[in-house]
Amino acid sequence: MPYLIHILILFCIYAILALGLNLVVGYTGLVSIMHAAFFGVGAYATAILTVDYHANFFLSVFVGMVVAGALAYLTGRILRGLSWDYYVLGTVGVNLILFGIFTNWGSLTRGPLGIPGIPRPVLFGIHFATNGQFLFLCFLVLVAVYFLCRFIVRSSFGRVLKAIRGDEKAIAIFGYHTLHYKLAVFSIAAIFAAVAGSLFASYLTFIAPSSFDVMASAFIFSIVILGGAANLNGSLVGALVLTILPEALRFIGFSEDIAAQMRQLVYGLLLVLLMLYRPQGFIGEYKLG
Amino acid sequence: MGGVHAVDDLSLSFEKGKITSIIGPNGSGKSTFVNVLTGIYPMDGGLIVVGGELFRKVSSPELAALGITRTFQEVRLFNQMTVLDNILVILTERGVFPALAAKHTKFHLSQVKEILKKVGLWEKRNEIAANCSYGQRKLLEIARVLAMNSEVLLLDEPFAGLFPEIVKLVVSLLEEFRAAGKTVVLIEHNMELVRKLSDHVFVMDGGKLLAEGKPEEVLRAREVIEAYLGE
Amino acid sequence: MGILNQLVMNAIIAGAAYAILALGFNVIFGITKFLNMAYGAVAVVGAYGVFLFCRLNSLPLWLGIPLAIIAAGIVSYLSDVLVFRKLRRRKATSLVHVVASLGLMFLLQAAIAIFFTSQYQSLADQNSPASVYAVAGTFITSVQIITVITALAVLFGLTLVLKKSAFGRAIRAISDDEEVSKIIGINTDRIISITFFLGGAIAGLAGILVGFDIGIFPTMGLIFLLEAAIASIIGGIGNVYGGVLGAFLLAFAENFGVWKINTVWKPSVGIGLLVLFLIFRPQGILRGVSKK
Repeated sequence: MPYLIHILILFCIYAILALGLNLVVGYTGLVSIMHAAFFGVGAYATAILTVDYHANFFLSVFVGMVVAGALAYLTGRILRGLSWDYYVLGTVGVNLILFGIFTNWGSLTRGPLGIPGIPRPVLFGIHFATNGQFLFLCFLVLVAVYFLCRFIVRSSFGRVLKAIRGDEKAIAIFGYHTLHYKLAVFSIAAIFAAVAGSLFASYLTFIAPSSFDVMASAFIFSIVILGGAANLNGSLVGALVLTILPEALRFIGFSEDIAAQMRQLVYGLLLVLLMLYRPQGFIGEYKLG
Repeated sequence: MGGVHAVDDLSLSFEKGKITSIIGPNGSGKSTFVNVLTGIYPMDGGLIVVGGELFRKVSSPELAALGITRTFQEVRLFNQMTVLDNILVILTERGVFPALAAKHTKFHLSQVKEILKKVGLWEKRNEIAANCSYGQRKLLEIARVLAMNSEVLLLDEPFAGLFPEIVKLVVSLLEEFRAAGKTVVLIEHNMELVRKLSDHVFVMDGGKLLAEGKPEEVLRAREVIEAYLGE
Repeated sequence: MGILNQLVMNAIIAGAAYAILALGFNVIFGITKFLNMAYGAVAVVGAYGVFLFCRLNSLPLWLGIPLAIIAAGIVSYLSDVLVFRKLRRRKATSLVHVVASLGLMFLLQAAIAIFFTSQYQSLADQNSPASVYAVAGTFITSVQIITVITALAVLFGLTLVLKKSAFGRAIRAISDDEEVSKIIGINTDRIISITFFLGGAIAGLAGILVGFDIGIFPTMGLIFLLEAAIASIIGGIGNVYGGVLGAFLLAFAENFGVWKINTVWKPSVGIGLLVLFLIFRPQGILRGVSKK
């Protein structure tokens, strides 16, 4: 039972990440491989503020959201002129820069050894100390994020995103400032990722930069592609599958390290196979290319 | 642009409330001209005058604000969206925050209904654009133009590949545009339609203006016939 | 003064390594026109190939190195035959190619980490220390000298192949227009696959040289990819000479850019340079091939 709770908490966190990224990749067609950086911003905001400054968890979440949103806006502006392949490379590069900051700005982030001792959230005297209680909190957040995403997707804003994905120049000609839309959705996704990061930090009570590198971003990206781009339920399915997978692998008997590498190998293989045979993922609506 | 001078020192003016056609052999630069005008290709030099205002160049979002709409020769729709959504997205709010706050309203939907019925696509409203026939896709492009309700329309080969009944429909729509006082610029290959519809004709060849005038004169002019035969 | 000289020397050495990487990258890009994210991983295959043959199996270097280079070439060749060719047939967009190449990168990297562990390893022979030379008040190792010479050799050799051979002509034809090339009888699939082999072998070579210089670890492919891509893009994507120029510009910018600050900020300098170019001179130093 405790193990199940652990899996479900991880599922919630990754589902939140995937839902946000799906808005960017699946609905708007922007291939961003830097989502783990925003995840990290939220995690570090919570870690630093709650451990070094004894701030309230929820305050740290707010700070994480603001920083991630601002960072996303800035990144979006800097990379705005880039077409397809170059944009992907640009996002990888920004992820690397942020990973560098997490790893090397020791005075702020305590460097590669990470930050231990992150407390669980407390709200109005309720202490989400047990995993069961924490799962409840994660679940609430997931539900909120899911319905927010659904609202966005069904609104006129969502329709414009799909048009941008379809043919950005064509929709621009009809009077849309597509850059504003891209910046908005990118920032929204980053904010969701930061919240997931805060939850992650508090759950594990310890974070290290290695959780927020380019590989982690690519993992989140594969959840979106696997589950199906432009389908929110697909992101849930994808998160579920890819959360269970490493556990299943460990069950078979691989050691901790090997399991992590096996997981990456399977993701890589899945991405290749998907592109070859099923670009729309499990239940996607948008066939990549 | 370097390499080929697709459009060379061209100076054209289009009158309000008239249909002006641009014709010329393949490669004469007609589409390029429209692409440069609408910001698809970069402009090396020159000016654009719209409604008395001067511009060095126009970016794509500014076009709509200037009251200019265009269609594409190769039909650029939002392929993975439905016919309905392709029109709805033209009608809804442009700003990011209003768009987030609102779904479409009943009024928007009734507008879409009116437009789609006019071009005969209402029954196909839930069809994905990519799955529609070529003729339906071209009609959808025209429907988008209707939805924009701009003052200046640049239509790039709107009749290409259409069945005669559909051609009649589009002709009547263009005549309605003219009657409403809009400025219509047509790029066309079909000489019959050019003769029938145009108030004024420009002939391009090799990126330059070859001739201009009333359809009957221009289409009989020797240089024009030679230009076409030469290709 | 000595520091300045050493900085210049470091930049030249790094530039040479990047140049080799960029040459292989451009050769493949010129003909496929998408950002092959698996390219860096292929370079790592070369490095680990030498590790496997020479360190784990005691083959002599003169045998192990060519084998490793060929291995890298084969991996690259297979990536085309098994994956990219099929996508090309389907006329998939470059986005699909990029995502598929991302998957390949994971696959290769993970496979290497599983077989060789994700630990940092040393490629150079522990028993014979690196010979260091003093040049103009700076220090340079024998591996580094070889790297610079190799860069020139590869540039020269590649130019020869591209300009003088029938193969090179075929590459340029396909780069201009794949459809027309097919019509005039060029076996485009075969030429493209061989180009992948060639680019992969060059990547493997670069990986080996860098491996000898600084050691190997499975995730170094990402850095290889980034440097190769940035150097190629700022040099003029698809243009082999441009890539070399871009490589040295990048190396100098990185080394001088982090002079007063920690060297871990090098990727930031690289990205910054890339962004500057993409904003102010997107076509690169020398004009590259037009993308599809």
